[in-house]
Amino acid sequence: MMGDRPSPPRAMSSAPTTSPSVDKVDGFSRKSVRKAKQKRSQSSSQFRSQGKPIELTPLPLLKDVPGVEQPELFLKKLQQCCTVFDFMDTLSDLKMKEYKRSTLNELVDYVTVSRGYLTEQAYPEVVKMVSQNIFRTLPPSDSNEFDPEEDEPTLEASWPHLQLVYEFFIRFLESQEFQPSIAKKYIDQKFVLQLLELFDSEDPRERDYLKTVLHRIYGKFLGLRAFIRKQINNIFLRFVYETEHFNGVAELLEILGSIINGFALPLKAEHKQFLVKVLIPLHTVRSLSLFHAQLAYCIVQFLEKDPTLTEPVIRGLLKFWPKTCSQKEVMFLGELEEILDVIEPTQFVKIQEPLFKQISRCVSSPHFQVAERALYYWNNEYIMSLIEENSSVILPIMFSSLYRISKEHWNPAIVALVYNVLKAFMEMNSTLFDELTATYKSDRQREKKKEKEREELWKKLEDLELKRGLRSDGIIPT
Amino acid sequence: MRDLPGIDSLLLKKLKVCCAKEDSVLPRETGLKLMESTPAENSSGVSAKCRDSRVEELWGLTTFFGYSTQTFVQAVNLLDRFLTLMKVQRKHVPCIGVCCLHMAAKMIEEEADVSPTHELIRISQSRFTVSDLSRMEKIISEKLCLDPKAVTALTFLQLYHSAIASQSAGREEIPSIGRLEAQLKACLCRLVFSKAKPSVLALSLVAQEFESFSVMKTVQQFQKHLKISDAELLGWKELVAECMSAYHSSQCSKPDNKKLVWIVSRRTAQGLQSCHFSVPALPTIPERSWNQSQSEDSGEDTSCSEESPCGSLGSDGEGTFFPSSFHHSRD
Repeated sequence: MMGDRPSPPRAMSSAPTTSPSVDKVDGFSRKSVRKAKQKRSQSSSQFRSQGKPIELTPLPLLKDVPGVEQPELFLKKLQQCCTVFDFMDTLSDLKMKEYKRSTLNELVDYVTVSRGYLTEQAYPEVVKMVSQNIFRTLPPSDSNEFDPEEDEPTLEASWPHLQLVYEFFIRFLESQEFQPSIAKKYIDQKFVLQLLELFDSEDPRERDYLKTVLHRIYGKFLGLRAFIRKQINNIFLRFVYETEHFNGVAELLEILGSIINGFALPLKAEHKQFLVKVLIPLHTVRSLSLFHAQLAYCIVQFLEKDPTLTEPVIRGLLKFWPKTCSQKEVMFLGELEEILDVIEPTQFVKIQEPLFKQISRCVSSPHFQVAERALYYWNNEYIMSLIEENSSVILPIMFSSLYRISKEHWNPAIVALVYNVLKAFMEMNSTLFDELTATYKSDRQREKKKEKEREELWKKLEDLELKRGLRSDGIIPT
Repeated sequence: MRDLPGIDSLLLKKLKVCCAKEDSVLPRETGLKLMESTPAENSSGVSAKCRDSRVEELWGLTTFFGYSTQTFVQAVNLLDRFLTLMKVQRKHVPCIGVCCLHMAAKMIEEEADVSPTHELIRISQSRFTVSDLSRMEKIISEKLCLDPKAVTALTFLQLYHSAIASQSAGREEIPSIGRLEAQLKACLCRLVFSKAKPSVLALSLVAQEFESFSVMKTVQQFQKHLKISDAELLGWKELVAECMSAYHSSQCSKPDNKKLVWIVSRRTAQGLQSCHFSVPALPTIPERSWNQSQSEDSGEDTSCSEESPCGSLGSDGEGTFFPSSFHHSRD
């Protein structure tokens, strides 16, 4: 028999007792209302009962009952696990918490090894138990300026139970007996929507589990795929254009990576739109470093699927090229190199001019890491072969900045790298190189001459002015 | 046919004077022959290939440091003379090469433009030290006589070019001296041209490059004046032509990147390693699932259109796919 409490608590209820209410806009908390509080490394906003201790009647172990009774016992245990405990209060209900933990553990094992336990009645109970445990208002971030790159994340206090619930759910989804046709009645769009909201959790362990869960759901429920894609779209667009806050971008991108990898050819227009309207603008976000690797992977996968997308992708990156953040520039250069690693020569020719104009600017950057990363392209064999084939176009673009920084750059390591690059160009196309050198030199001489002339002119004007001023009455006219 | 004006007699005198001097700066013929016959795989002796690649290095360094063509030509001359005079071990050739360039630069360039030795060594990625270099400098200056005003192929080239330029002033376009200098540099990268007398080499370059009839007449005049036989001129002209076709060819000689060391800062190196997100942790999800037993849905289109306003999925995503608020561009 279950505990003698009137009804199990609802997960998505009103505010937790110690933190202020949090406005939600479509599932994402507004940062406008925050009370200054002490930094906690753990938090939870699970609703908990007002002081009454929770009592659950211990049930026998599944392995101890005959096979025919197991399905019913399974359901009972699931129902018991719907009870949610307060982990912020570390002393309350310790015995019951341990009971739930061991029950969950048992359920995880049971789902992994058993056969014939999954009746139709089990599905709604499983989904209910999981929902009760994981769907909750995420605790508000401790500070308005939580910097994902710098600060320690706030971990979920109820992780001892939560982890097992996720573990259980994943094994349930992966079970041989699992039937999406039955499950789809309970794992529906509403469920998925709530799942997606959880990706904003600060706890990276939770996000990692969510990633696996969503990946499995996407794989098995064809009917939900378009909806999931659309919702991810919305999340990203809101992230880029409204909030610039969402903790789960990297995980969602990882899932997208495996989806993109599986795209059928020819690519649907919807997917191409996604690339151009969502993935490219994602590069503009300040916190790019948190998910750049995953984003770059997605981009490269797209290009391997459909090389004709190269031109819009590169033009997009060039359009959003960072102008004030050098760390981002280095990331962009890394991503660009990965793209060039897989580019087709015919596509390369289309974008080589704007591309190398940007590289030329990077190479001249006073930030040595940017210059270094750009110069290192010349150590890439495939890129070198592309440059070689098109040296008559590329060399003139690169020439003047290379030549100039060989004389002017403050960093000696950069100067040494420039030598490598210049030497490579000399060997590639000596005639053109010599021509450019000659032109460059004569241009410089002409400039110097002009400067000299200008200086002399000013001097003459000065003298003239002085003479005129002194001529009349010694007073210099204003 | 109109009579062409004769070449300025002063210039002719100058040429004669230079010609007299040029023998003193020729590398020893026996030494050149020895280099040509030394096989490239020989690990101790200096082969023609070894010398040629060394000269190409110097060419790169000259351009990089902005040294004049005269510096380069002098440096090559010093190198050839030293290599043909002394029995040198191959492992010392890099040091000798850089040393000759440095010495030539000191002779010819402005003091402010001469690169300090440590910088020279660093950029050329050489393995020897500054003290090695100065020791080598002493040795070379002992063995060779150094004359900043020494006559080189460039000297002759400049004289020839100025004569031709004054003759054809305004009448026709002639290739610039810069172009000729570049070609001279290209030629000097091949050992064979060190066998030629500077006056002959320069003249054959001019003859090969200039096509107009009037120039050919001038060339003939030079030839007569300096007593250069037809056979000699023709022979060198052919070799120059060969060299030029390689120089001008659109076929790129692939740069040998392996020899160059790419030194990057620690941060960049770390970034290079960790940057590649190559192995996805999640297995690929194929877009069209053939395993229909897993789900009753025959496809995504049918089920989704009932449940949500997704709109048409397969075609144009513009319509209902994106929320309407995003149809207006951001401020």
